[in-house]
Amino acid sequence: MTIDAGTPVPLARVRGRTLGRLVRNPMGVAGGVLLLIVLVAGVFAPLLAPYAPAEVHFSTPFQQPGTVGFGLGTDDLGRDILSRVLYGTRASLEVGALSVLFAVALGVPLGLLSGYWRWLDAIVSRLADLMLAFPFLILAVGLAAINGGGLANAAVALGIAQIPTMVRVVRADTLRLKETDFVLAAHTMHAGPWRILGQHVLPNALPVIIVQATVIMPAAVLGEAILSFLGLGIQPPDPSLGIMLSDAQQYLFRTPWPGIFPGIALAVICLGFNLFGDALRDALDPKTSR
Amino acid sequence: MSPRSSLYAALAVLAAATLTACVPVQHVSGRSEHHNDFGTPVGDQRVADGGELVMGLSAEPDRLDPTTSSSLYTRYVMSTICEKLYDLNSAGSVVPQLATTLPKVSPDGLTVTIGVRTGIVFADGTPFDAKAVATSLQRHFSLKTSQRTSEMGPVKSIEAPDPSHVVLHYKRPFAPITAALADRAGMIMSPTALAKEGNGFGDHPVCVGPFKFVQRVPQTSITVTRDPRYYDAKDVHLDKITYRIMSDANIRAANLRSGDIQVADTISPQDIDALAKDPGLKVLQAPSLGYQGVTLNTGNVDGVGKPTKPIDTPLAKDPRVRQAFSLAIDRQTLVDTVFNNWFDPACSPIAPQTPYASAASNACPAFDPAKARQLLHEAGVPIPYPVSMQVSNTQDQLRYAQALQASVAESGFDLKIVPVEYSTLLDVQKRGTFEALMLGWSGRVDPDANTARFLSTGAGGNYGGFNSSTLDNLLGAASRSIDVKTRAALYGQAVQLIQQQNPIVYTYRLRNLTVRSTRIAGVEVYSDGVVRLGKAAYLQNQEG
Amino acid sequence: MLRHLLHRLWQSALTLVLASVVVFIGVRALPGDPATAMAGEQADPAAIAAVRAQLGLDDPLPVQYFKFVGHALTGDFGKSVRTGTPVREMIGATLPVTVQLAVFAMIIAVLAGMAGGVVAAVSRGRWPEWAANGFSLLALSIPTFWLGILAVLYLSVQLGWFPASGYVSPFEQPLRGLYYLALPAVILGLAHAAVVQRQTRSSMVETLTADFVRTARAKGLGRGAVVFRYALRNSLIVVTTIVGLQLGGLIAGAVVTERIFSLPGIGKLTLDSVFTRDYPVIQAVVLVITSAYIVINLLVDFLYTVIDPRMRVSGRTR
Repeated sequence: MTIDAGTPVPLARVRGRTLGRLVRNPMGVAGGVLLLIVLVAGVFAPLLAPYAPAEVHFSTPFQQPGTVGFGLGTDDLGRDILSRVLYGTRASLEVGALSVLFAVALGVPLGLLSGYWRWLDAIVSRLADLMLAFPFLILAVGLAAINGGGLANAAVALGIAQIPTMVRVVRADTLRLKETDFVLAAHTMHAGPWRILGQHVLPNALPVIIVQATVIMPAAVLGEAILSFLGLGIQPPDPSLGIMLSDAQQYLFRTPWPGIFPGIALAVICLGFNLFGDALRDALDPKTSR
Repeated sequence: MSPRSSLYAALAVLAAATLTACVPVQHVSGRSEHHNDFGTPVGDQRVADGGELVMGLSAEPDRLDPTTSSSLYTRYVMSTICEKLYDLNSAGSVVPQLATTLPKVSPDGLTVTIGVRTGIVFADGTPFDAKAVATSLQRHFSLKTSQRTSEMGPVKSIEAPDPSHVVLHYKRPFAPITAALADRAGMIMSPTALAKEGNGFGDHPVCVGPFKFVQRVPQTSITVTRDPRYYDAKDVHLDKITYRIMSDANIRAANLRSGDIQVADTISPQDIDALAKDPGLKVLQAPSLGYQGVTLNTGNVDGVGKPTKPIDTPLAKDPRVRQAFSLAIDRQTLVDTVFNNWFDPACSPIAPQTPYASAASNACPAFDPAKARQLLHEAGVPIPYPVSMQVSNTQDQLRYAQALQASVAESGFDLKIVPVEYSTLLDVQKRGTFEALMLGWSGRVDPDANTARFLSTGAGGNYGGFNSSTLDNLLGAASRSIDVKTRAALYGQAVQLIQQQNPIVYTYRLRNLTVRSTRIAGVEVYSDGVVRLGKAAYLQNQEG
Repeated sequence: MLRHLLHRLWQSALTLVLASVVVFIGVRALPGDPATAMAGEQADPAAIAAVRAQLGLDDPLPVQYFKFVGHALTGDFGKSVRTGTPVREMIGATLPVTVQLAVFAMIIAVLAGMAGGVVAAVSRGRWPEWAANGFSLLALSIPTFWLGILAVLYLSVQLGWFPASGYVSPFEQPLRGLYYLALPAVILGLAHAAVVQRQTRSSMVETLTADFVRTARAKGLGRGAVVFRYALRNSLIVVTTIVGLQLGGLIAGAVVTERIFSLPGIGKLTLDSVFTRDYPVIQAVVLVITSAYIVINLLVDFLYTVIDPRMRVSGRTR
């Protein structure tokens, strides 16, 4: 079963087949379960967390995991690690979602337009080249210095970094779809460029956009952790898994625990997205599946 | 490991954590006392001649030019290659180094005469004399890009009447000059090198010192080697010292343990307990002359140096609100928690170990959340009262800020932490675009540089825009007086006033924590924080 | 072919010019200036003004820009505001460290990744494939900097197998140099190994199931011969692209590894220079990293035409 590039396939049917393939793929199911856990942890963090993430307990720093009241122990300021991991997961998901939104909002239109009009392509491609070649960290540090850091800022920096690949993927798909029979047919019926892009190209480019989004998501989650680890992302007292790791690094020789759990949380988030993303890619484009 | 089993592993960890949730809460044990240890000279220990010592330096020095340098870490390297007219001793007093006597001040306080050594040479062979000293001091004072100008005070002229005496003429009496000459303003550069290198002196610094500059690898290291021409060469034992730049505190700690480096500065309070237990290592500690604190903006609207303007917030207008903020800080608990009790609470700009400290300057308002709340009520402000505090986004600063936030919350302050990058913070501080700002001061030997600079009306460092003629008069009188006791009394009065008005709320005082290998001797650290390696040596049979 | 290359060169030059404008304007948009940053807590207003004047920061912006570009064209990036060292020397000292780290990491990534990819492709449906796939998934999901921290803690400090940090030039002391670089390179290379492995696998699977291979097998060509003569050769093309794309990114992206292992590389220089607002250094670092990325990509383009003759005519499309 293959999606023939020449025939427009009703979206509902694609969705149905995709779902079916996803469910039959054990990796996809494992990824879905992990994602579900992560999403529940993130979305319901305020309900699940026993304490506020920044709540300091001066009398009980460095509790070990399994301590009564502090399931995963406490850090140097006596803050509950479980609560911080939950809120940190929430922050990671927020940054991931925001940067996907950012990359989609800017990358998809640019990709569509530059795939459609050659003259625009030259300009957009140069800008994309620049973004790819420009050292990302300098951009992130610069943005952090100007705007004072924070979650939104990290999401913007990470989103910008992902724009060029999004543009390329969408552009390539637009180029392909432009030559398909149904678009050519629309042309002969005097459909305007906007109508063609919006009604014919975009819906059929959705699969590649979704797949690219599942690639951006874990990259952004890791990126946020790295930026925050370097002090350029989310700023304390806001919780972040990256900040927890950089804090923990300071006293790792004394107590390794506070540095273990946020790392595991990060790995689980990314593993979930990678597994699910792989399965989704296979399901959407059976040619690459085994 | 298949993806599924990694999921099970994660679940197992979670399950294990919940099942074993039976460990009772462990409370912090009592505090231990800390005793100063400045290190000792080699003395009559049997030491080896030769060997290379490697020091892990916590920050890269800037230009190795005593006139234009502003980084504190530059002093660490300069201490081995560039001696000063005066130095400190372990007691914190000023003693002659390249000078032969303490400065003689004329009765009107306007003429300062300094006797200097003769018959010694710079590392390039140029003879050292009063003329060379005058050339260096003149450069410190008048070079456009000099960072020393204000430290030198209101100098009128500098002259060398004979080869062994230098005379500084002042427009007004200036007591802090002695202490300034025990810091970078007292470093004397070879006039030959100055003539040859000019502004590039820092690339190839030449002074008088036990060691001389060899090379600098950017971002990596600075190497110095023994100077055979040094006047006291018999007391110099090492062949070579390499300063390796290691900005991460835990990397310095790891390298100390592995023996890759023999000395490291600015050890984190997080690592120091573990290092202290290592039989191969020894901790040196010297309390800082500086302070850490929160500057509250009371009048800096148009930028520092511009005339102050009133700010229409209770925090800026009403001293009771600021006093409440000071009373809301549990200083002891904060240093215990954040710095493992290695740093000390502080309530004034006068370090308690200096001769300028007094009962009045050492007094510290106790933590009193009830009184703080009451003051806020009296001031008629809504509780919780929001305060936005800008802080440098470095780890220690952020950790302290978060603990501070928790501490003042109890008294009704809603402290909002705004972390900004250090360079941005400096900019914010200068412009006055802050309500409260947390930043420390490394401290100087003379208290004038720790007080007037930040609190006198119109002073270059009065970032909070504080404006009090009473305080100006007290600090002014203290800087003109030469008598230590008189000055101490005046600073005591100043501190009392500061603690009523709280333009700066002092929080804690660092200790300069240095760790050395027990294989070496002669490493000394005084209260200026400089790690002195010039006369260090490997113990016999312990050569590296 | 020549036209294609010339076109690419022209595009690259344009990208570089854009980068120089962006970084020039960008650094000046940062709050604070090098004079204030350098003075630090010392902050003497007169001295700050003098330093600004000396740096030419009071000149009009276009004048500053053309001075910067004019000097940069002759390879002169000026002197660091903070240390007074010529910027060229600073880059000369730090860039090799990062390049060595990146190349070493890439070699590890390519060797491990291709081996894993081949194993996964030839043992489809059996446990070696699962192991290889599991490895690549984990390597992509576990944050490498976290792994780096744990490696320093357990492998270096507690077990003492590796030095905790530091750098020794492999050109001066080959064995010691490699020993110092080994752990950081492995950590940095892991995620890239995963990418290489996935691409190798899918390209090999594609070739192994292609018609011409089936024909060759039917004609009696051995399995090993097929794998090495056809499949591996095809996947080399894919791997070359990835190496090219990632090596450029590695040079800019090694900063976290450099920080964890305290390596004096260009990533650390980048961060330090932005924090201290060292304009000449930031500008030079951006230009150097951008050029490195562009040059590597040009090389990949060229290599492409060598490995895959079809590309000589059509040029590369991305």
